[in-house]
Amino acid sequence: MKTLSYGVALATLLSTTVIPAYAASDADVAALRKEIQAMRQAYESRITDLEKKLSEVERTQTNAALAPAAGPAPARQSSVTPATTSRDIRDNSFNPSIGVILNGQYRSFSEDEGDIAGFAVGHEGERGKEGLSVEHTELNFSANVDDKFYGSATAAIAEHDGETEIELEEAFVQTLPGMGLPTGATLKAGRALWTLGYLNEHHAHADDFADRPLPYRVFLDNAFNDDGVEFTYVLPTNFYSEVGGGIFRGDDYPFGSASGDGIGAWSGFARVGGDIGDNQNWRVGGYVLSGDTSGRLSNEDVVNFTGDTHLYAADVRYTWAPTGNPREQEVLLQGEYFWRDEDGTYEDTDAATGVVPFNDESDGWYAQAVYKFLPQWRVGARYSQLSSPSVPASLAGSALDSSGHDPKTYTLMGDWTNSEFSRVRLQYNREELAQGHKDNQFLLQYIMSIGAHGAHKY
Amino acid sequence: MRNFVFLLFALIAFPVTALAEVNVFACEPEWGALAKEVGGEKVMVKIATTAQQDPHHIRAKPSLLAAMRKADLVICSGAGLEVGWLPVLLQKSGSPQVQTGQPGNLMAADYITRLEVPVTVDRSEGDIHPEGNPHVHLNPHNVALVAAELVKRLASVDGANSTVYQSRYADFSKRWDAATKRWEKDAARLRGARFIAHHKSFTYLLNWLGMVEAGTLEAKPGIPPTTSHLEALLEQQRKNPARAILRTPYESKDASQWLSEKTGVPAIVLPYTIGDDNQSSNLFTLFDRTIVLLTETSRGAH
Repeated sequence: MKTLSYGVALATLLSTTVIPAYAASDADVAALRKEIQAMRQAYESRITDLEKKLSEVERTQTNAALAPAAGPAPARQSSVTPATTSRDIRDNSFNPSIGVILNGQYRSFSEDEGDIAGFAVGHEGERGKEGLSVEHTELNFSANVDDKFYGSATAAIAEHDGETEIELEEAFVQTLPGMGLPTGATLKAGRALWTLGYLNEHHAHADDFADRPLPYRVFLDNAFNDDGVEFTYVLPTNFYSEVGGGIFRGDDYPFGSASGDGIGAWSGFARVGGDIGDNQNWRVGGYVLSGDTSGRLSNEDVVNFTGDTHLYAADVRYTWAPTGNPREQEVLLQGEYFWRDEDGTYEDTDAATGVVPFNDESDGWYAQAVYKFLPQWRVGARYSQLSSPSVPASLAGSALDSSGHDPKTYTLMGDWTNSEFSRVRLQYNREELAQGHKDNQFLLQYIMSIGAHGAHKY
Repeated sequence: MRNFVFLLFALIAFPVTALAEVNVFACEPEWGALAKEVGGEKVMVKIATTAQQDPHHIRAKPSLLAAMRKADLVICSGAGLEVGWLPVLLQKSGSPQVQTGQPGNLMAADYITRLEVPVTVDRSEGDIHPEGNPHVHLNPHNVALVAAELVKRLASVDGANSTVYQSRYADFSKRWDAATKRWEKDAARLRGARFIAHHKSFTYLLNWLGMVEAGTLEAKPGIPPTTSHLEALLEQQRKNPARAILRTPYESKDASQWLSEKTGVPAIVLPYTIGDDNQSSNLFTLFDRTIVLLTETSRGAH
């Protein structure tokens, strides 16, 4: 009897504890069912709404396309005319890379004149304008032409003597590896900054200083970019070696007034380079540029040279990353040496020398060091020197008479590079370009690029 | 002059003996290591950068031109990571088969799901990559996808040895999958953990293990950390500190250490790629070491 009553009590206890749970879950399930129903209804109504809207839009589109609204139609629909809807912009996807280099300087000089004694220089090689000025603004367009060729054009908009000029700095085509030339061989034709020394093939905006060193100013008028053809070949050696050469029209300084018959000038070069460990690398090169001219005007068209010019150059470049990471710290050492042999006649109309036979050599060199001590900060120093040729008596007192003075410049610079696309530089020059000439110059410049900016060479 | 020209042609025409090895040019050490895993003795790998160097800022130096000249296969991260130097090398001394789009040109970022693809592209956002974040190798699933493509490329470049590559890949794949599972298990407790990184170099690592990037020391990618941004991070860290501040071996320690000192959050250097320390000499040990460093830090933080 007792066990039975205990059993009943236990059963009641269990059922009261268990049944409420079941009861609760029944209610829960019903509630869940209700929720799902509500959700389903809500979503279904939204979907039907969206479907309605979509069919409306489709209808209005087809209406607009088929029937340009005439008469008192709502303004929005009538403005959709066939001319606008059918404007077809073709081939945008193959547009070239476009980049612009924006460049301005503030310069202050302590001497009024900046002529380089003993040398006749073209207008690019002269020192820039004093005060605030916008420098060459470069526009570049480049793209692959097809599977075999690549093309690029760089125009520089600059002001010289109060006139705004558009100079064609580069306009060339070159072969791509798909052309079928041996691996490492490239043919480039048109107008370009040809391979000569270290700086010539780089655009000035990429330089480590605000101006080019003396040898570039007097021997190349800042850069040699004649019209011509150049072949270069990276040799299949374990270390880096490259050779090449070109033929040119002979119109650009140090040549000029090319008549067009025959080849005005030719060039040749050879380079080798390599690594020293993981953190150092170097490259040296030897170059020759030779040609003749029937009239090379310089010094604001006052000096005229006719004859042969042979220019030989050598360059060396070395970079070292002290911490192993060139992003954080880097040291760059660079130097070039030029030797020029001229054989022809000079005339200085200002000094009324008449046409004077001239056959002599001149040379010049520069050495620079740049130290990047923080990712965005660099300092640099450069020394540059020329030795002017000895002049015959009939040229005494002319622009070519240096009175025995060898022009030289000392330069210090500091620059801040926020990114690969912007740089601001402060530079101090001490230029001793002629007897008694001591020019202290301060230059402040910005160089910024927008748009596409190709990878830089070494 | 004539002799010079003759010599030039003799050099060009010199028969290039069919070398036994495929020359692989790897932009970064991680891809070089992958090429060695899949290629074994059949490949000769030249690695263009070291673990100490920031791959964004490499010069197209002479030794790289010479190495590209010989390359049969180029393997790089892609997504614009090497845009400052690789195009010069390819154009100047690359053979037709290693040019972009050809079988000998393998860009890892093309074979994985890229993260952080920007909606708008403007340089005021810093050095952003229009294709997305290019530091793709720190997710072993990505490495597996690239390896699968690499074996196909090696087979197309060097068909004679394709069975060797297939068997090496099968072996690597088995070991890699097993290792990946082990890493995921070991790093399970890192889910939801918050980390600060110097640059967005660890996005794929954090994404793989379910960790959260609590911010970067650089306010904008590619622009070195600024005081104002670090102060803002400091404020944020005081309220909700991260587990650690991560950086690669090539990133400067100054900003990491400053923030670490102010907040007490540890600043650690992850190996990031192969070659920085003795413990990360191949892809397996790279991830082993990375997981160990991350989990140790987390343990220490509690």
